Parts: sequence; structure tokens; C-alpha cells
Amino acid sequence: MVELVATAESIDQAKALVESGVDTLYIGNDEFGLRLPTSFSSEEMEEITTFAHLNGKKVTVAVNAIMHNDRIDKVVPYVQSLIDIGVDAITVGDPGVIHLIQSNNLKIPYIYDAQTLVTSAKHINFWAKRGATGAVLAREITHEELKSIGENVVVPAEVQVYGATCIHHSKRPLVENYYNFTQTAKPEENDLYVSEPKKPETHYSIYEDINGTHVFNTDDINLMPFIRQLRDANLTHWKLDGIYTPGDNFVQIARLFVKAKQAIAENQLTDDVIQQLNEQLLTLHPAERTLDAGFFVKDPDEVQ
Amino acid sequence: MMKTKLKKPEVLAPAGTLEKLKTAIRYGADAVYIGGNQYGLRSRAGNFSYDEMKEGVAFANKHDAKVYVTANMVTHEGDEEGAGEFFRKLRDIGIDAVIVSDPALIEICAMDAPGLPIHLSTQASATNYETLNFWHKEGLERVVLAREVGMDEIKEMQEKTDVEIEAFIHGAMCISYSGRCTLSNHMSNRDANRGGCSQSCRWKYDLFEMPQPEQHESVLAGDPVEDFSMSAVDMSMIRHIPDLVENGVDSLKIEGRMKSIHYVSTVANVYRKAVDAYCEDPENYEFKQEWEDELWKVATRELASGFYYGMPTENEQLFGKRRKIPAYSFIGQVLLYDEETKIATIQQRNLFEVGDDIEFYGPGFDHVSQTIHQMWDEEGNEIDRAPRAMMTVKMKVDHPVKPYDMMRKRK
Repeated sequence: MVELVATAESIDQAKALVESGVDTLYIGNDEFGLRLPTSFSSEEMEEITTFAHLNGKKVTVAVNAIMHNDRIDKVVPYVQSLIDIGVDAITVGDPGVIHLIQSNNLKIPYIYDAQTLVTSAKHINFWAKRGATGAVLAREITHEELKSIGENVVVPAEVQVYGATCIHHSKRPLVENYYNFTQTAKPEENDLYVSEPKKPETHYSIYEDINGTHVFNTDDINLMPFIRQLRDANLTHWKLDGIYTPGDNFVQIARLFVKAKQAIAENQLTDDVIQQLNEQLLTLHPAERTLDAGFFVKDPDEVQ
Repeated sequence: MMKTKLKKPEVLAPAGTLEKLKTAIRYGADAVYIGGNQYGLRSRAGNFSYDEMKEGVAFANKHDAKVYVTANMVTHEGDEEGAGEFFRKLRDIGIDAVIVSDPALIEICAMDAPGLPIHLSTQASATNYETLNFWHKEGLERVVLAREVGMDEIKEMQEKTDVEIEAFIHGAMCISYSGRCTLSNHMSNRDANRGGCSQSCRWKYDLFEMPQPEQHESVLAGDPVEDFSMSAVDMSMIRHIPDLVENGVDSLKIEGRMKSIHYVSTVANVYRKAVDAYCEDPENYEFKQEWEDELWKVATRELASGFYYGMPTENEQLFGKRRKIPAYSFIGQVLLYDEETKIATIQQRNLFEVGDDIEFYGPGFDHVSQTIHQMWDEEGNEIDRAPRAMMTVKMKVDHPVKPYDMMRKRK
């Protein structure tokens, strides 16, 4: 059974995603979670959780930041507050948080999410033995490798099927440093991008927040054309990341994946269905951004 | 007043080859870290065969030094095959610890090579004391901290954990949280976490807005216009040895398995001297400018203290015109010295000539300078130049030198 996980940028969007049939909302606060479309307050998260539960859906909260001492000190009360709200699970990327969950006997399922580092079944199973109920796979994994992972994991491994993907996380304020050096004001209005020296057509999104600087790949991920391969690889937990796909378009894209899920459940997933869904997705994706299947379509030996 | 005895931290140096291992230890390293043929992150650094490891361990044991092996790749499916045997071999050879970041490899090492201590690599970005406690509970002996940890944070970690702490004190540092960067994977098809990093962070980028699809409006600023880059200056903590010792760092790590014996000998020598000076007499300790000057002789970028004393600013990034760094070249190593004739036998490592102003340095931070007056080749013919790589040269020296002393000159 396919499980769809989607980020939410607002309470309204969260509700629309729930009504569209997404199984789990992925939300959080920037102080504890990484690269979220919106940093929600506890009250907002409570409202979203209540709504999701009324509709038989779940909420996972991001607690996957790289914590320094000052923040690790706040983790136990924060996670306790999430338990009180009734969220269904959290993501965790810092073993210090796992240590605190264990030593304080906090009763909440955790999904291991150390981003670029989660690249093998054996790695995921290590955390499963230590209580993880799932894991989020890195984006830099080929189809060949995914098949092996799907065969060997003992807990569900989540694959990003849509959206922007972070490829660099620095603690330094790299953009602010640049503008300080050049003694100019940082433009506030639009999103910023960088392009490679010899590839002016590339457009890597870059932004800063309290967790540092984040750079995203030039192409967002779209695995709609390969959902059958994912299902066949036993990888049915699919994440949609809307950090750079705002508003109703993201909801509509989520709806396309819900349709794909239904088609799989009804054994109706044909090439035509996939192609139709993909064509609709391409019209809904922000025009200034490009899409590809990333490492899914690479040969493992192509990457040195 | 009772004086508590200071715990002296280990000076840990990189060693890309057997020669570098021996050099690092002769020049004062308490421990070295090397790479095996597999599971490491430096596919292009010199890596050690098992036989070379044996020889390295034997040499280290003779000098009361330790040898660690770095196996810090982030494995993909199948990469871990053979790792159990690899770790057992290392243990049986007498390697003192392995430096690992991937939990899959940590588990294999713990299961298949019990008794081989494991250190958590900086690749795992350990940034808080609970993470240290987690890994300690898992049986790890030591954690190499993330490069983003500050001195105050280390102090608190020291108070709240029992695991050994290793911290980088010198060398080139990732601009990202280690392991959390795949620029190279996406831009060059080279896996940064499996030894393929193409250092994309050091490239020059265009920074732009996109008000309309495909409409790139560059927002590069400055006069003259400065490219955007993520590149950082290098680290040096030579001015802060007392803080590192007082806050209980157990091992002071120097980066650079790709660096030359000139680099390794110079940097190990300086930190050996400074750590000894502080630990022998903390009250009367004084930082010496000559130590820093010495580090500059092998520097390739400017030097700063990373995250130890606050968030690095634009001054710790490589923007703008580079400050000129005095470049020295490594020109030879002393093989023998005859006290009676005051003639040194030198193995040539780079061109030198009669009339060159040269400097000899050796373990213990001994330095002497002179001009080359007279020299001879292997057959005893007097020569003006020593142009051939690895040729043996005899040279009249003004001050006594010792085997393994290095010879350098300003470029």
C-alpha cells in the first residue's frame, strides 16, 4: 500500500492536502526541523494535527536538525509537547535526539532522516534496531541500489518522488557573508539561485535560515514516470516536498500522486495512466524550475 | 597551591604514505591517521597496503606513537562487502583505532573485529553532548567533533560526557556540515561521501534572481564585481593551544592526508612544540610568533579559527584578492652529516643552486639558515646546481644538521 507524505506551507494548504487524500502531513518548526516550507508554531501544529486526525490522516513533525548543545537542551520538552499534541511520528537525524528519546522513555515513533547520509539498507537497519520505525533515503541513490535497499530494509524506507532536493547544508551564512564582503544590500524580493561557472543555464536555489545556508539541486525531482519501478522495489512510502512549489499547484500535484496510489490499489496503473499523470504534473510544476529523475536513472558505476 | 597536572592532548597528524607516517612521527606526532585501500574518503590520497600498515605500526610502536585508519565513507549497497575482514586484518596488524562514520560500517566493525577501537569520524557531524553520549553508549572510544563546534560547546561537552574528544586544529575544512554536501555528486557525478569530492564549493558561481522563467538577473555585487563562492579559508588554532588543553580536548587533529612531507613535518613540529610548551609550564606559557610564521611557510590559504570563537564571517571566506602568502619550496632532506668535515649529504627534492639562501629545520623546532657555498654530486664533482630529482648531493653546511632534517628555500 502506497503511503503519501507531503509538506505543508500553511494551515489551509495542510487541510487541502488532507482532503486530497495525502496520508501524512510533514510539518515542523525551523528550530528543530530542516528546510520546511513554513515554520509552524505549536498552536498551528496542533490545529493541523487535530484536522488530520479527524480525517483519518497522520502528521509527522521534523526534528531532524543538526543540534548544537543549546538546542539539544530543548529537545525533550519539545518532543514532549509534540506527544501532547498527538503527532504520530517525528523525523530525527541527530543521534543525540535518539539518545534523549531512549533515556527519557519518550513514547513517539521516530523516522531516521539524516538526509545525504542515508544510502544503504544496512544503515537503515542499524537505526531500526535502535527503535526507528522508518527512514528517509538520500536522494543520491540509483534505481539499481534502490532495488537492493527495498529487498533488505526491515522498516519502510521513504523515497522523495517530487520536489526540490537539498545538496548542500552549511552552518555559515554564505549569502550574508557575500553581501557583507561586497558591502551591498542583499536583495529581499525574489528567490536567489547560483549557476555553475561553465553552465549558465543551471539554477541552484540557495537560502539562509537559522540552521545555516541551504543549496538545492538545479533540477527538482519527479519520479512519477517511475512509480511502478518504485512499487516493484517494495518502496511505497513516497515524499512530496513543496518547499519551492507553492500554493494550490502543490496540492494538485499531490492529488496526482493520490490518483497514482489509487490506480495501484485497483491494479489499474497502466503506462497511459502514468503518462497522463506525468503530463499534468509538468503543467503544474513552477515554470522557472526544471525537473528530472535525478540519480534514479543513473548507472551506479556512472558515479565515481 | 596544589597544581593539578594537565592532561596532555595527543597531536594527531595525517599520513598519506609510509614516508609521511615516519616523518610525522619523527617530527612529534603522537599519532597518525592513514587510509587503507578501501572504505576511505581519499581515493586519490596515497593509501596503505597491509604490508605498509605493518611497517607503519612497527615504526610507530618503536616511537610510542599510534596509528589510526580512516574508513569513513558513506556506503551504498554492496560497498560494505569485505569490511568485516578488512577490520579484522587491521586489528590483527595492530592498528590502534579506526575512524568511521557510517553506522553500517560501525556495526560491522563492532561485530566482526571486537577489540578494535572505533572513533566516530567528523563526517557524522557530531555537534552536541548527547550525540557524544549516544556513541559512547554504543561502545565508541572517541568522537571527532564536527568542525562547527565552538570552544564553549566543547567545554560543556567535556563536562557532560566521558567519551574522548578529538577536534580539528589545522588545515582545510569543508564549508558544509561534513557529509551534508553532495554538490560534487550532482555537478560532477563524483560522490563526495565516497572519496570523489570535486571541491565544487571552491568554484566561482553566478548569483542571480529569476523574475521570469529562464530570465537570469545576476545580482553579483561589489566593485569590481565579485563572484559568489562558498570557499573558506583554512584553519589554524596555534594561538589557542591553552583553550584546547584546558577544555579537555583529547586529540588535536591536523588535516591533510594529501599533503607533502614538507607540510606534515612543519605542522606537526609546530604543534608539538606549542603543546609541550604549554603543558610543561602553563603559567609562564607564551604564544610565539615564530610558530605561526612557520605555519605560514606551508600555508596555501589564509588561516582562521573556524567556528571556535563564533560564526565565521566574510573574513573567513575566500572572496576578493588573496593576501600574498610567502611560498617556500621543499628542496631536500638530510641523509647524513659528518661533524669533522661539516659536510651534509642531502637527498634532492627540488632544484637548488649555489648562492641560494636556504633553511634547515628538524624535529624539536630546530632551525638554521645559510647560503649554499659549495656542493658536490655523487661522484665528487663540484656542481653549481642540483637539478635531478632524488639525486644525492654533498654540501658544506655552516651549522650542524641531522639526518631527517629538511631543507627549504623561499620561492
